[in-house]
Amino acid sequence: MATAPRAAAAPSYAKKFACAGELEQYRQALIERTDPAAPRILVCCGTGCKAVGSLDLLEAMKGAVSAAGAQVRVMPEIKRTGCHGFCSRGPLMSFQPENLFYQRVQPADAEEIVRETILGGKRVQKFLYTPPGSKEPIATVDEIPFFAKQTKLVLKRVGRIDPFDINDALVHGAYKGLVKALTEMTPAQVIEEIKTSRLRGRGGGGFPAGVKWESCAKQPGRHYIICNGDEGDPGAFMDASVMEGDPHAVIEGMAIAAYAIGSDRGFFYVRFEYPLAVQTLTRAIRQAEEMGLIGENVLGTRFTFKVSISTGAGAFVCGESSALMSSLEGKVGRPRPKYIRSTERGFRDSPSNLNNVETYANVPEIILRGGAWYTGIGTERSTGTKVFSLTGNVHNVGLVEVPMGSSLREIVYGIGGGIPNRKELKAVQTGGPSGGCIPIPKKFLDINVGFGRLAEIGSMMGSGGMIVMDENTCMVEVSRYFISFLVGESCGQCAPCREGLTRMKEILTRITRGEGRPGDVELLEEIGTFTNSFSLCGLGTSSANPVLSTIRYFREEYDAHIRDKKCPSGVCKPLFYYEIDPATCTGCGLCRVKCPAKAIAGEKKKPHTIHQDLCIKCMECYKNCKFTSIRIM
Amino acid sequence: MKVILDGKEVDAEAGRTILEVARANGVDIPTLCHVPALEPAAMCRLCTVELVEGRRSRLVTACNFPLRGEVEIKTDTPRLRKGRKVLIELLHTRCPDSVVLKELAERYGADLARFPDDNKDCVVCGLCVRVCERIGANVLALSGRGVEIRVNTSFGRTARHCIGCGACAQICPVEKIRIRDEEAERVVIVCGREAARIPLRPCSSCGKPFGPVIDLSLVMERAGEAQVPAFNLLVCPACSRRSHARRLAERHFEQYDIEPAPGGGAE
Repeated sequence: MATAPRAAAAPSYAKKFACAGELEQYRQALIERTDPAAPRILVCCGTGCKAVGSLDLLEAMKGAVSAAGAQVRVMPEIKRTGCHGFCSRGPLMSFQPENLFYQRVQPADAEEIVRETILGGKRVQKFLYTPPGSKEPIATVDEIPFFAKQTKLVLKRVGRIDPFDINDALVHGAYKGLVKALTEMTPAQVIEEIKTSRLRGRGGGGFPAGVKWESCAKQPGRHYIICNGDEGDPGAFMDASVMEGDPHAVIEGMAIAAYAIGSDRGFFYVRFEYPLAVQTLTRAIRQAEEMGLIGENVLGTRFTFKVSISTGAGAFVCGESSALMSSLEGKVGRPRPKYIRSTERGFRDSPSNLNNVETYANVPEIILRGGAWYTGIGTERSTGTKVFSLTGNVHNVGLVEVPMGSSLREIVYGIGGGIPNRKELKAVQTGGPSGGCIPIPKKFLDINVGFGRLAEIGSMMGSGGMIVMDENTCMVEVSRYFISFLVGESCGQCAPCREGLTRMKEILTRITRGEGRPGDVELLEEIGTFTNSFSLCGLGTSSANPVLSTIRYFREEYDAHIRDKKCPSGVCKPLFYYEIDPATCTGCGLCRVKCPAKAIAGEKKKPHTIHQDLCIKCMECYKNCKFTSIRIM
Repeated sequence: MKVILDGKEVDAEAGRTILEVARANGVDIPTLCHVPALEPAAMCRLCTVELVEGRRSRLVTACNFPLRGEVEIKTDTPRLRKGRKVLIELLHTRCPDSVVLKELAERYGADLARFPDDNKDCVVCGLCVRVCERIGANVLALSGRGVEIRVNTSFGRTARHCIGCGACAQICPVEKIRIRDEEAERVVIVCGREAARIPLRPCSSCGKPFGPVIDLSLVMERAGEAQVPAFNLLVCPACSRRSHARRLAERHFEQYDIEPAPGGGAE
């Protein structure tokens, strides 16, 4: 059978679109040439999957498919996409149109996949996803709870389109919102629509975006649009995935904001550690400019909007808006000591509108479907969806998008699949290093995740990092970790943040070493409250949250460290030891074999013992014991 | 415009900072990193006050908060006193021998033994940096991040373009910047480290080195006072005064045939 053409060549565009009609014609032509039933293989090339070799997989797949050549009835299109979200299962791959989902695929498997799945039409069992605690593999994306329970709004195109190809984005509806704003709405109407949607800033502060746009638009002078892509929280990768997977959504959102505010110049500020995002954005901006979707006289209108990218130099504090603007100006990235909103005087002392990547990515859909539609998602005070990066001690590590107001139970157990290794959930840390730890089992498992509610219980929404912690997490150590992160990342210009953090780190280190003194907790509270209220910028005024929230909910753990010199979770090495319970030990010898320090001895089928002087407390025996006979003392 | 300052209603011009209004009304708010001549940097946070707007109360720094509406300001509440006390204790660890900090500690009842001394010889108020930028030669800057932050010269090298004006030494609240004239060079020492070294010009009359060799026109331009007559760059102030006196004496006494006193002294 003759090989069918791979896909009809994309219609060419010789020049910029002179009007919105031309763009729509072109889009229609693209859609007509795309057969929705044609086979397509989507290989995830997000940062997570790339790290485990998905680029090699992509090449191997291309090689294997063309090697199969004439045997293939309809040549599938192999697409390089952004993050699919299920990062712990990478490298990922899905097959359209049946939405078959393969996980943990290696380049060496390419040939087998082509032979079995593409030629044979069979599903290879070993690549299918099997949920924890189940033996039944699930074949398609729609049935996997991790995907099925999500509501994809911001991420709707991420993982489905090739981020390097604007045509693919156009087929999937990119720039429709911009067209609508430019042709059917006045700038004031755009702002009104965003205000109706009650969209709140996704960077952490939760300031209403419409109100911000309005106050910026009112100011005289040249206006700037800035996109904050300096996502620095440990364990957060939401913005990275959006920029890498669907750069056009962000560019479109910025263009709409520029139109609404009356700006002709936009900047991306992307952190240095995101080279892939810089690549996709650079390509996307160039392609959009070539088509006249941004640049001079967009779609033949009088609206002009130029965009460029700036990268950071690795400072966490540059995610703070005024520090970001200083850095963008080429100065040292330190927050500005000024009581003036950046919408009045920000970048280059001009009115500047700064929003987060995710905020801009929400905009096109709001314009397209209306603000009222948007308020139907989420809660009264927090509308829409939120993307979280779910990490830590949870089965399904990855990128998830849920409506605001979803319960933590839904996210951690429903989507996240619960806690591995039969352990108990202890806390969820939200909001990055400046956020707080929420004790879950006690009271807050059913808490609704939204802006107000999280702040009430001493944490914050932040940009959307969510770290799940199991019973073997020491809260004192967690707070020491975050404080030492902040010590290194504080800009150092204001005294409370710089000195307060230094002292808190000192005290916490002392406690985790077993040298804690009575009164240390009170001292931490005193310094923490002081730092949070006297510091200059947003980083400083929330820097003590890890300490204050863990003291608030896990006071007994601090006391155990200081008074009893014990670490109940078995993390702070000087403060615990392992012991084998002779009553339950069956003498299977697994711990003896696993122990790298050869500290465990015992005869077969008789209770074993641990030689405390040799034990290095690596947790191998604890993790491997099938009878939970190893106890933390 | 009226504002309520510590319970009393006072007049305030819109746009003035809280600190300016407070000082004009005799209310003392402690500061460490502020001088009226330089733009506020709000780095020491010692001047933090409580601002009540309607039912909301928040903490702001008095040195750079511009008054725009009718608000209530509280400059000495228990919350502020407690915060300032911790702040002084923390800053004191960096500079245990500072007189200013000891005075402040007394005023706010700070327990200076609570934290171990760190002896960094600097409280990072940034005054020297700002004054150097404004009237000096922009030699000093804050380098490093977080706890590493310190007053530094470019790449930590001994600066050669310093004009040796001494403004940094004069402004430092903890007196940790010293200026020393060695043989034929002026040395600026910041926190125990040599920051700048400027050659001194020998007096053409007595031969003693007297002032730094600098591009004076740039300094005059920066100072914005073009009308000031240029200094005599060749003769030291002492010799200049002496020769001036001699010339005066010659002009006034010679016509009366009076011999000026030997040695140039003219009483």
